[in-house]
Formats: sequence, structure tokens, C-alpha cells
Amino acid sequence: MQEHLIGRRHALKYFGLLSASAAGREFLEGWLPRGSRLQAAPAPAMAGLVQVTDVEPSPSPADTESPYVPRFFKPDEFRTVGILAEMIIPSDDKPGAQEAKVANYIDFVVFSAAEFEPSLQKQWIDGLALLNELSGRKYGNAFSDISPTQREELLTEMSVPEHDPNAKHPGFPFYGLLKGMTLEAFFTSKAGLIDFLEYKGLTFLTNFPGCTHPEHQV
Amino acid sequence: MGSQPVYDVIVVGSGAAGGIACHVLATKGLKVLCLEAGRRIESGKDFHTHTFPYGWTYRGSGKPGEYGRLPQGMGWKINEWTDHLYTIPDEDPYALAPGAKFTWTRMRVLGGRTNCWGRGTDRFGPLDFKAKSLQDGWGEDWPITYDDVAPYYDAVEQFIGVSGSLEGVYNTPSGRHLLPTFNPRCGEWLIKKGAAKLGIKVRPKPLAVLSKPHNGRPACHYCGGCNWGCMVGARYGSVDSVFPHLEGLPNFTLRTNAAVHTVLMDPATGKARGVTYIDAENKQEYEAHGKTVVLAASMAESIRILFNSRNRDFPTGLANTSGTLGRYLTEHVAFNSIGGFFPQLAGRPTTNDDGPGESALYIPRYNYGHKDTKKYLRGWRFDFYTGCGMGPGPGADLPGFGSAYKKKIKELYPAAFSIGGYGEGLAFDWNYVEIDPDGLRDRLGIPQVRFHTNAEYPQAFAIRDEMYAQMEEIMKASGAEVFPYKKEAPYPLGSVTHESGGARMGDDPKTSVLDKWNRCHDVKNVIVADAACFVTHPEKQTTHTIMSLAYRACDHLAEEFRGGQV
Repeated sequence: MQEHLIGRRHALKYFGLLSASAAGREFLEGWLPRGSRLQAAPAPAMAGLVQVTDVEPSPSPADTESPYVPRFFKPDEFRTVGILAEMIIPSDDKPGAQEAKVANYIDFVVFSAAEFEPSLQKQWIDGLALLNELSGRKYGNAFSDISPTQREELLTEMSVPEHDPNAKHPGFPFYGLLKGMTLEAFFTSKAGLIDFLEYKGLTFLTNFPGCTHPEHQV
Repeated sequence: MGSQPVYDVIVVGSGAAGGIACHVLATKGLKVLCLEAGRRIESGKDFHTHTFPYGWTYRGSGKPGEYGRLPQGMGWKINEWTDHLYTIPDEDPYALAPGAKFTWTRMRVLGGRTNCWGRGTDRFGPLDFKAKSLQDGWGEDWPITYDDVAPYYDAVEQFIGVSGSLEGVYNTPSGRHLLPTFNPRCGEWLIKKGAAKLGIKVRPKPLAVLSKPHNGRPACHYCGGCNWGCMVGARYGSVDSVFPHLEGLPNFTLRTNAAVHTVLMDPATGKARGVTYIDAENKQEYEAHGKTVVLAASMAESIRILFNSRNRDFPTGLANTSGTLGRYLTEHVAFNSIGGFFPQLAGRPTTNDDGPGESALYIPRYNYGHKDTKKYLRGWRFDFYTGCGMGPGPGADLPGFGSAYKKKIKELYPAAFSIGGYGEGLAFDWNYVEIDPDGLRDRLGIPQVRFHTNAEYPQAFAIRDEMYAQMEEIMKASGAEVFPYKKEAPYPLGSVTHESGGARMGDDPKTSVLDKWNRCHDVKNVIVADAACFVTHPEKQTTHTIMSLAYRACDHLAEEFRGGQV
């Protein structure tokens, strides 16, 4: 499939050819990612392109701000969120929650919930408090102060109803919230979608070959 | 207002029906005014087809809660890519009778819902127009046959560009002027092989996506972002396919931000003489005058205009002497898809499976001749989705966390499948829409509709159960691992955006609103050209038949003009 794929960077040459014709320019105006560097600083080959003026996509400060300053969680909570996200999707031989800045994103989303969905803020505050309570009862310490093995043990206990519908655990709703938001944050990030899953789409192909494996085909 | 122009035709709406109506009428030389309730958009500026989730502040999902509570089937539509195109229900609500559910998708911009539609372009078949007499005796026949519509299916396909192939599937006719089909993904081949073991045929899915340049529009570049609107117009949409060819013609005028409120009647003749509309910018009401009015504002909007046009001669709604206006609403029987993975594909390297956005293959209806009509009526089609998408795939649905869980996600990512079905829903008189008796008005002050619709009737549950069983059987025959799933109640009417009926066609003015040319029985110079005219809705998609019937009705109207009958 690689031969059909024109990566955004390699596309420059192709753009140059295309933008030489009116039809090509029209096409490019449609295809070029708006707000991209290509348009912000037009190369000579881009001369025929029209800058669009509509509302532009803009990424989250969770991704762009460095260092990120948490908007919602207190420092110990933010640290706990980071630990938890890393437990769900660890940074191992492939990028994980850390590379994807999952904790930043969860903080930013929970902060942004103030306007229309304040219940999300309460769920996180209560969930983190419950986590410390469970951890204190079992191990005599807050979640961030217990050992990695103990954390693993506690989170595993909280997750049991996930595969046993008859089981109950007071920490299960928070486990569900944590897992759901970690997955969302990770797989909508560049680290999760591109670096980990190696998603190759949302790009330009001149031809779509589909399946190239004779063994799958009728 | 003596100086105001009198148009030959006023077309209300610019989507599937309105776009085709404008195309047919204006290219035949009639003097056309198109009124679109929404603003003007341009594909290159208003669509964000190529933005990744992490390009958006909230990764595409919007600020938590900002879209309010979205009804079933609307959650995937309204997001940061598209929230400037759709009407958000909480911001401009519609009414529901106690206990009723309806998902009303509104896209008040030029091109209407053709901007973000599903692109599947099945034709209805001969048995679908005569389901009562040729299938099972239930409901009503259409006043027209497949042969009446076939030339217009041809014409629409040639105009919009459809990729597909001549297949000869029983009662799912193919067109003759098709662009080449798209190549199937790995999983699609596996389903084709599996279904074949059960004697079920898997076919190329006809799509209004260009596999070759067509009528000045470029071929698909396989980015897969179709649901956010296509920036290059490689799928059919009236913004790129209709209006660029019409604007500038001396006999065509497009007015956006013009929300039609009523059909303006001439009490002397009993005929329509135009419409009244509200300018969405200054909120003032205006008149536009025409010899005929084509309502193509979408099922619910066209019905709303007729109800809001009630007068001394038509006290329950314009053209409603039959009392059936707003009734016999129907939509597909739809419910949750089932998912899982192909062990054969697990662990393979990621491939770019976006293709033309939609699947290249699908399963058209195959269950003809089943005798147990007590059990369920009519049939279904299946659509499936396979391969690497813009999400983690089936592994993420598994229990667990940590490194092993993460590895499993990656392993199953290329092996994903889901299969969903669309069954024929039945048109009951008790599924209806009216003007809200409690006086709800939209943001422009126009009385809003209230839906009395219930998709959870015994036939819907019965066909649903048949479909679940068949979907599982097909997937298992394909070697797939099916995840456990819960059977959900049939989704509300409108959740597939295939709502139809409410001003059905018929030969008998006592039981139908429209005649066989989509003209109101009661007011012959008012045409309803959208899905409100449907008598039944088989398992096939809606849009192609909307466009083809609009084409047919407007072709006939143009003939009448030529013959001096208008």
C-alpha cells in the first residue's frame, strides 16, 4: 500500500504539480489541512492557494502547553491521576499514557466540564477520595504512597465486576470512569492513534488497493 | 408588492430533494427560486474533513455536555468537526408526546443533509413499491411501479455519479451507468466467503462516492473523513454538484437564510401563489410569489409547513382533507450492531483501511419467499465495517488494564468487525407528527412539531430477533469471534436519518395526501418532493429514492409548464 500513499510531507512535490492548474488548485484548496504550516508560510508552489477564514481547529492546551499547569486537580490528585492512567495504558516498549499526556487531558476535560457537566467534576473528586479511603483502609496509606504492587492489587479488586457481573465493588464506578477517560484520551492523541496503533488513514491515496492478500479473497 | 417577481417554481430546501428539483427545473429553463432556511456554506471552508481528533480542543468530542443530551443516533453526528452544521436539539428543541421518542437530525445549511449523508444508493425494487399486493397484503401499495421510477433512478445516477456494478440481485436493481466499484478490505472478503457457505450473497455496495472524476468533481482520495463533509465534493452533495452549475443562470435564484413558514394561498382560485418566509438574520417575514411550490424541506419540515399553512378552507392543515397528513411515519428497524474480531487477521501490521469511507461490500436483502408472515414481515440488509479505523477497535472493549490489555488492543486492532442491520419498518397511522399543541416555537418563532412515534412494536422486535440470529450466523461462518452483546430495543424513528412518510402518495385522495406525481390532491400546484411522500420504506437506503422521485415529479412539472397546463 505504501506506494500509493502520499504523506503530507512528500505531498509537497505533488502539490507543486497540481497547483499549476486551476483544477489542481481547486482540488488543493479542498484537500490541504487548514492551519497547517504549509499554508501559514506558503511555499512558492502554494502560491495559488487561498487562505481560508472559517473557524479553525485548535488543539487542546493539554497537548500544547509545556509544562502543563493543571486547571482542576490539586497537585496530589494530579499525581494520582497520572499514576492511574499509566496503570491502565502503561508506557512500556510502546508509547503509553505518559507520552500521550493522558493526565493533562483528563485534567483539562474535567476542568472544562464546569459549564455544562459539573457532575463529572464531582465524580472525579469523590472517586479519588474513595480511592484513598480504600487504600488507607487496606494499606494504611494514600494511593499515591502505597507500593506499585499494592496499587495493582487494589485496582484489580476494583475491576472485578468488569468480568464478573455478579461481583460488586464500591470502587468499580470510578474504575469505569478512569478506564473510559484514559482510553478516550490515549486513543485520540497522536501518541495513541499514530505512534501506538500506527493508524495510517485520513490521508491522500491515489488508489485504494483494499485487501492485498490472496488467502483472504474468494 | 406588484413589482415582485413571480417565479415559475419556488423550491423550498436545497438538500437531496431540493437540490435535484433545482437541477431539473432550472436546467429545463424554468424560472426557479430556491429558498434555503440555513446559511450558505462552501465545502473547502466549512468542512474539516482532514482534521485529526487531536487537532481539536476536546479531541473532537466537544466541551463536556456542550451539546446537551443527544437522542439515539445523533451522538456520532454532532462533534467539533460538524457542530456548526447541525442543529443541536437543546438549542432549538422539538416536542415529543409523553413516552414518544424521535431522533430529528437537522442540518440547516445549503445542501441540507446531503453534506453529511451515508452515501449508500440502493434503488427500491419492484416488490417494494407493491409490498401489499406482491408480498404480504399488509399496508398500502405505492401508486407507482418500479418501472415508473427506473428512468429517474438512471438519470439521478448519471448526474450524481454512483460507483457500483450490475449485479442482478432479486428486487435490488442495479443501475446501468455506474462508475467502477471499490476494492474490499480483508475482513469484507472474509465475510463474503463466510456468507457464501450459508448461501447468502455479498455484493458491491452502490455508493454515491466517485471512483473516477465525474461531472467536474474529483475522484475520492480515500481519506475516510466523509462523515464530516467532503472538502473536495467527491461524494454527491448539492453544494458541489448542483449549485455551482446553476448560480449565474438568469433563471435561477438562490436565497439562503430564508425559512419558509407557510404556503401562501389564493383564496379566489384555491391554488398556491407562493410562500411566506422568515429571514433568519432580521427575523422579518417576507413573501415570495410563484406559480408552483415544491416543498423539499425534509420529511418533518415539509409536513410542518403544510400544517402551519392551515386556513379557512383547510382548517386542519393545507392539503389535509384526507386527515392523513403527518401520519404513517416509518423508518428502518435498527438497533445496536454486534462486534468482535477475526482471529485470522489478529496481530497483522496496521493497514490503511479508510477506503471510500463506507464498506465496499454489503449484504442486500435475501430472505424472499419466507412463509411465516405471522412471525415477521418483509426483510433486511446488513452493513459491516472491518479493519483499522480511527479508534482502538474491539480490544478496548475487553476487561482489564495494563500492558497485557494494551498489547491485546494492538493485536485485535486490524481484526475488527462490526455488523449492523436495517429491517423494513412498517407505516402505522398511529406513528404521526403534528404541530405542538402546547405552542412550542422554533428560534425563528415558527410553530414547531411534536412527534408521536414509537418504534417498539411487535413486528419490529420480531424482525430484530431474526436479524440478530442471522448476523451471528454469518459472522460465525466467517470465522469471526463475536463478542457478547445485549439485545436492545429497536431504536427510535429518525435514528437512522431515514424518517419518511407523513404525506404519502396514493390514488385515493381519501387516504393519501399526494397523487402519483407528488402533487397534493387538494392543491395541485403544491408538490411535496421529499421522503414525506413515501408509502413504505423497505430495507434500502432513503436518499436515492428521494432524489429519483423528486427528479420524476419535477420532470413532470416541467412538462406541464411546456404544455401550458400551469
